[in-house]
Amino acid sequence: MTRSDAALKSRGGAVYGLDLETDGMLFGALVPAPVASGVLRSVDLTAARRAPGVVVAVGPDELAALLPNGGNAERPVFPKSRILYRHQPVAAVAATSLAEARAAARLVRVDVTNEPAFIDIEDRYPEWPSKLASNDPHVVAHVVARHGDLAAAFRTADLVHSETYRTSGIAHVALEPHACLAVVADGTWKVTTSTQTPFGVREDAAEILGIPQESLVVEGTWVGGGFGSKGAAFLEPYALLLAAASGRPVRLAFGYREEFLTGRSTLPSVIRLDTSVKNGTITGRRVRLLLDSGASLPGRDFATGYSIGFLLGPYKIPAFEMEGYAIRTNKPPFGPHRAPFAPQCVFAIDSHMDGLSRRLGVDPVEFRLRHVWREGDRTALYQPVGPFGAAAGLERAHAKVAEWRRNLPAGTGIGVGIGFWSTSTGAGGEVRLHLTANELVIEQAEHEIGSGSVVRGLVAVAERYFGLPTDRIRVVSTSTATAPFDSGVFGSRTVAALGRAVEAAGAKLLETLGARASMVGTPRLDVDGRRLVLVSGRTKTPVAELLKPKEREGGLVTEGRHYGRSGAIDATRAVEGTFYPYTDFTASVHVAAVSVDRETGSVKVLRYAAFQDIGTVLDAGMFRGQVEGGVAMGLGTALTEETLWGPDGRLGNPGLLDYRIPTIAEMPPVEVVAIEGFLGAGPFGAKGLGEPPIIPVPAAVANAVADATGARVVELPLTPERVARALKLL
Amino acid sequence: MPFTLEQPKTVREALQRLADPTGGPSVPIAGGTDLLLDLDEGRVASTRVVSLRRLPWNTMRWESDRLVVGSTLPLARLGTDPAVRRRLPGLVDAVDAVGSLALRHRATLGGNLGRAAPASDVVPVLLALGATVRLVALSGHRDVPVGQFVRASRQTDLAPGELIESISVPAAPVSSYVWQRVRPANDVSQVGVAVARSDSPSGWHVALGGVLPAPMRVVEAEAMLTQPNPSEAEVEVAAQAAARRASFVTDKRATESYRRRLVSTLVRRAIARALRDEASR
Repeated sequence: MTRSDAALKSRGGAVYGLDLETDGMLFGALVPAPVASGVLRSVDLTAARRAPGVVVAVGPDELAALLPNGGNAERPVFPKSRILYRHQPVAAVAATSLAEARAAARLVRVDVTNEPAFIDIEDRYPEWPSKLASNDPHVVAHVVARHGDLAAAFRTADLVHSETYRTSGIAHVALEPHACLAVVADGTWKVTTSTQTPFGVREDAAEILGIPQESLVVEGTWVGGGFGSKGAAFLEPYALLLAAASGRPVRLAFGYREEFLTGRSTLPSVIRLDTSVKNGTITGRRVRLLLDSGASLPGRDFATGYSIGFLLGPYKIPAFEMEGYAIRTNKPPFGPHRAPFAPQCVFAIDSHMDGLSRRLGVDPVEFRLRHVWREGDRTALYQPVGPFGAAAGLERAHAKVAEWRRNLPAGTGIGVGIGFWSTSTGAGGEVRLHLTANELVIEQAEHEIGSGSVVRGLVAVAERYFGLPTDRIRVVSTSTATAPFDSGVFGSRTVAALGRAVEAAGAKLLETLGARASMVGTPRLDVDGRRLVLVSGRTKTPVAELLKPKEREGGLVTEGRHYGRSGAIDATRAVEGTFYPYTDFTASVHVAAVSVDRETGSVKVLRYAAFQDIGTVLDAGMFRGQVEGGVAMGLGTALTEETLWGPDGRLGNPGLLDYRIPTIAEMPPVEVVAIEGFLGAGPFGAKGLGEPPIIPVPAAVANAVADATGARVVELPLTPERVARALKLL
Repeated sequence: MPFTLEQPKTVREALQRLADPTGGPSVPIAGGTDLLLDLDEGRVASTRVVSLRRLPWNTMRWESDRLVVGSTLPLARLGTDPAVRRRLPGLVDAVDAVGSLALRHRATLGGNLGRAAPASDVVPVLLALGATVRLVALSGHRDVPVGQFVRASRQTDLAPGELIESISVPAAPVSSYVWQRVRPANDVSQVGVAVARSDSPSGWHVALGGVLPAPMRVVEAEAMLTQPNPSEAEVEVAAQAAARRASFVTDKRATESYRRRLVSTLVRRAIARALRDEASR
């Protein structure tokens, strides 16, 4: 494996958001709302403005003077009246030092009523599944899909398996907190920020501030982990506002505690599944989803419509009815977390499939093989399933289960989970290639977030495409002012979509060079000593000779774009609400072996195997690392991670002492196996890998616990106490 | 919250600085692994932090059958000492349970005791072992049993102007500490159980952590353990007595009922572990 950022990062040379500095820079601090629900009466900035070092303090009343039309009325920077969640920013200060800014923020007097907070979705909807009135003010999204005669399926069934699953909130825990540096000068707003989506931040921040996108420049930095937390604009509008108010550069960064308290994390859910079976085959399924959406604004919930599809796959279900509600509560808005909400859905669906097969006395893997999608099948919403490695992965998993049954001690529980994902190649992107006499430069907007998709993934595509060695290819990341558009590093799309853009730009490059060299057919690039050469048959021409004089400096430039098709949903099935089409399915079949302490409920993961449908492996080391990382993160979701929300909307564990991410000591040996050949829409048939490896982990672990003990834990995470309850120890 | 750091070189100077109110309230710091969190979040309102790291207390020695540990000795030193492993296996169990290895190179025995966290892994074993604390003030020394020193959650017998100089622990080759956590590594114990068998008379000591108001001995359970090698039935009765006696609460780490359920299991396991260690020698 060769990563161009490895040396830089190991020497501490990479500049992250928190490292940003410039002359005359001020430090920003946000003023958090002291209640989870209430009406804001006033924000008094007087004392803060008089505090040492303070240059500017801004609150709701200052927006009108600082922003065109006072900013976006629907999405105001600061709330005008209603407080939606505890720690919602209600004002901001900038001072000459961080300590001064924080001290001054504490002096801001926030006068607010304290109303009862709505925190636990089941407090309001205890009779669940219930008929929620569509005009219930707490429902921010309602989705309904159905197909076939479910009533008949349930009436004629041999068995209807019903179970309710609950999942907890989880935080991202990126090593680097959110951080940005804003400068406003001469009508140009500029923010340098640790982000997964420079263009997304530009669009979002401009909308919130009410300024034209063209007047805002967003430049990325090295990102110390994203996991979905650094997608949309977050700190940037506040920093830009402070910069505009003070006329000086302002750095605004979260501390680790603020990251927990104010961050947009995944929130709790309740999932109810009823599945009918006739002659050993599933005939129908009812799905009910109640998702805590936090303080999401109506129309801005994406998770319900996106994730509910995961509750209908990857299995063939002839008749179904599904209904999902996103419920607004007094928590920070729901935010995407690596494979947003898919691990939770798959925990429910594959716990359900596992429990059902055990009730039927059928091997759980065989039962899944009976129903799993294969190429040519249709999803619940009638999208075609393309090349899909689930069945192949299940066959391998079957053999692994048998091997472990032979080799591992009696009492070991073995469980299987299948995750599936849709690589979001539909989200488009563009790159610009610069070919000089000696190297190829890939210019684009994204900055490396840690997975390697930018610094290694795009280089690996170019290596294969051009046949060039790694050291002749360089990726550069430029700002939204110069880089061609890209959607962002999310949805496992970076290599799949931007890699295709590299190919498209590459084709133009070779075509142009071939024409200049009067070559017949498609030439290729090669290395000859220090120089790059163009090769066609036996003809070899130095690239330097093919460059026009004005290209000697910056190279021959071509641009390439990839805007994939996103497919269509059958509108007769998707009855109400917004659903998202899936494309380019990826399967992750995982097998976990666990031991369970039957007196305490502690679960130890002994062995783990991951069979990953990947289409084509572009870099074996990166492939392995990404799968191992997904498994590690998924084990946290499975066993230890949960945000603990008090009835007053206070987060009880805003730090790593009681928000427990896995340590190396809990990490089992992981066997990573690529299932190649089910080609995806990415370059050389590659499929996205950012998110898939986390998805089936909770399901595989829960099924292993059920296998070991006969007891099913229906709530994530599987803490020792929850397992102890399932074992009826208390 | 910002604070100033003072680094006295002698015990006398440290005691004087702590007694001097100039510059605001002061607090002693050893490893700081617990205190710094409280300072950072404003739970401890001191503006002056007096470091004990230059005092001659980073020590460990045997005085016949007692281990005397200087209060600023890093916990990691205890965990790796062969004599301590042999003569005080329960203490090593407890020390190894604290945080991560990196943290144990920083954290100290005196700091753990002085901070008196209700979930301390170290206090229960010091109780079971019958350890005593040596306190020093400008006026002189006094020795206090750990059971009297730790009064309640975050409350000790330490008087203003006093510091913990050392902890004296009698050897107990049959001793152990076991715990339960959500995450095995680097987590706070939900419940901890320490046991130690003293030679004369052949009595067992049983102490619990994760209980309120502070880690405690359970004499009701100890009374049931009359033999050096108690029978399974005896152990079971003792385990049940411990579960009945202790006062648990529900908090973010565990419910009251789960903690109570754990205690009997952990008492059985602790005794078995202590005896297994003995059998393997």
